Amino acid sequence: MSNHDPHAAHSHGPITRPGDMPEHDHHEHAGHAAGHPADHGAEHGGIGKYLLVFLALCGLTTMSFLTYSSYWPWRDEPHVGWAFMMAVSCTKAMLVVLFFMHVFSEANWKYVLTIPAAMMAIFLALMLVPDIGMRNRMVSQERALHMARSSDVLLMEQAAEAKVLEEPAQH
Amino acid sequence: MWLFLSTEIMFFSALLGSYVVLRFGAAVWPKPHHVHLSEPIGAFNTFVLICSSVTIVLALEAARANRAGLAKLWMLLTLLLGTLFLGVKAYEYQAKFAHGIYPQAPHGRIYEKPDLYYGSAVRARLGEPAIIDKLKELDDTPAEQLTPEQVAARGRLQQIRKMVASPEQQAFDLAVVADQVMPLPTEAAAGSHGGVDSGSGHGGHSSGLNDIFPWLRLPAVIPGGNMWASTYFLLTGFHAVHVIVGLIVFTILLGYKLGPAQAGKIENAGLYWHFVDLVWIFLFPLLYLF
Repeated sequence: MSNHDPHAAHSHGPITRPGDMPEHDHHEHAGHAAGHPADHGAEHGGIGKYLLVFLALCGLTTMSFLTYSSYWPWRDEPHVGWAFMMAVSCTKAMLVVLFFMHVFSEANWKYVLTIPAAMMAIFLALMLVPDIGMRNRMVSQERALHMARSSDVLLMEQAAEAKVLEEPAQH
Repeated sequence: MWLFLSTEIMFFSALLGSYVVLRFGAAVWPKPHHVHLSEPIGAFNTFVLICSSVTIVLALEAARANRAGLAKLWMLLTLLLGTLFLGVKAYEYQAKFAHGIYPQAPHGRIYEKPDLYYGSAVRARLGEPAIIDKLKELDDTPAEQLTPEQVAARGRLQQIRKMVASPEQQAFDLAVVADQVMPLPTEAAAGSHGGVDSGSGHGGHSSGLNDIFPWLRLPAVIPGGNMWASTYFLLTGFHAVHVIVGLIVFTILLGYKLGPAQAGKIENAGLYWHFVDLVWIFLFPLLYLF
């Protein structure tokens, strides 16, 4: 893997097609061998960039936490909140992957590994939908009797509001 | 390393995908405050992990710049933040266990609905010899030795004992019993809307009989709670195992002189740690806010 070699791990992919390696690449490699530790920070944008990404991540976390606060205007419409949170999460994931994991400044060959893996995972989830996701569309009568339903939540809420037991205790 | 990470992507996205499919296929799914999840604690843990992601990146930069002492400091900070995350997680687990929320019997005391099975489970618990003795002791205690809250709760408990023993109990009666044992907190009572006071109104976290008399440990009703517990403990458990592995790696790395020669090792440990952070970024909204 590329990461075992600190000289090659950044900025240029370790695997470059032999045909299209540009001229200036050699120069830069030579420069690295000479003044290698010092110019790392400059090349990656330095600590300032990481702090910026960190602030962005904190801001995004606050944004998804906003859906929980009373300022969130779509409390009655949970799907809006879900879509918003997933968008925020994907943005955060992109920031972490691109900057912290240095994918932004590395070769593209990693995608060869990660994208098929991610796609297979998505297909796996999709293949669960008919048997698991729709398991409650057709259930036996016995199962329907014993499974929890939203009416049970309603019943418990009614029981809480009725306050059957609290009145005698006050007398 | 990336090959390993791609297997990890498959592992976690399969788990997350199954969770999403199970969650949206379920007839009823508990709200976060039904299962004693605290969103602010979850958000705090997210913040902790993000901080640790930054510190490990800074450790890598310091090691590349040949500042071994600084790198070690950042690495130590990462280790501490990871431990803090685990500590908060352990506290959260403890809160679930205290309410009988386990993925499975015999520890799990969650019933799906207030039906006759639930009623007989409550009756069975109240009929255990140790509980009978405790109840007798409670009944004989003079009211002056109890707080007003406990006196009121004792009165409700006595009525509940009559209700579950009665042959004419209705579904509604059992719902009343379940509500007394462990109420499903309403959003306002659970301290939502940014408020922090919980347990003041009815349905607060500490107003159930199980909370007032911790030795009681009666079965409770959380519709959809069993499936929720299974998925929650599986997802966060696997994530916590990954955090522990990360902490072990950091501890080993702290034994080295963290100069440019170790930059490759730090980078791989960092990649792994960022991935763990990444998983939490998705777990937090899916588990706490959905």
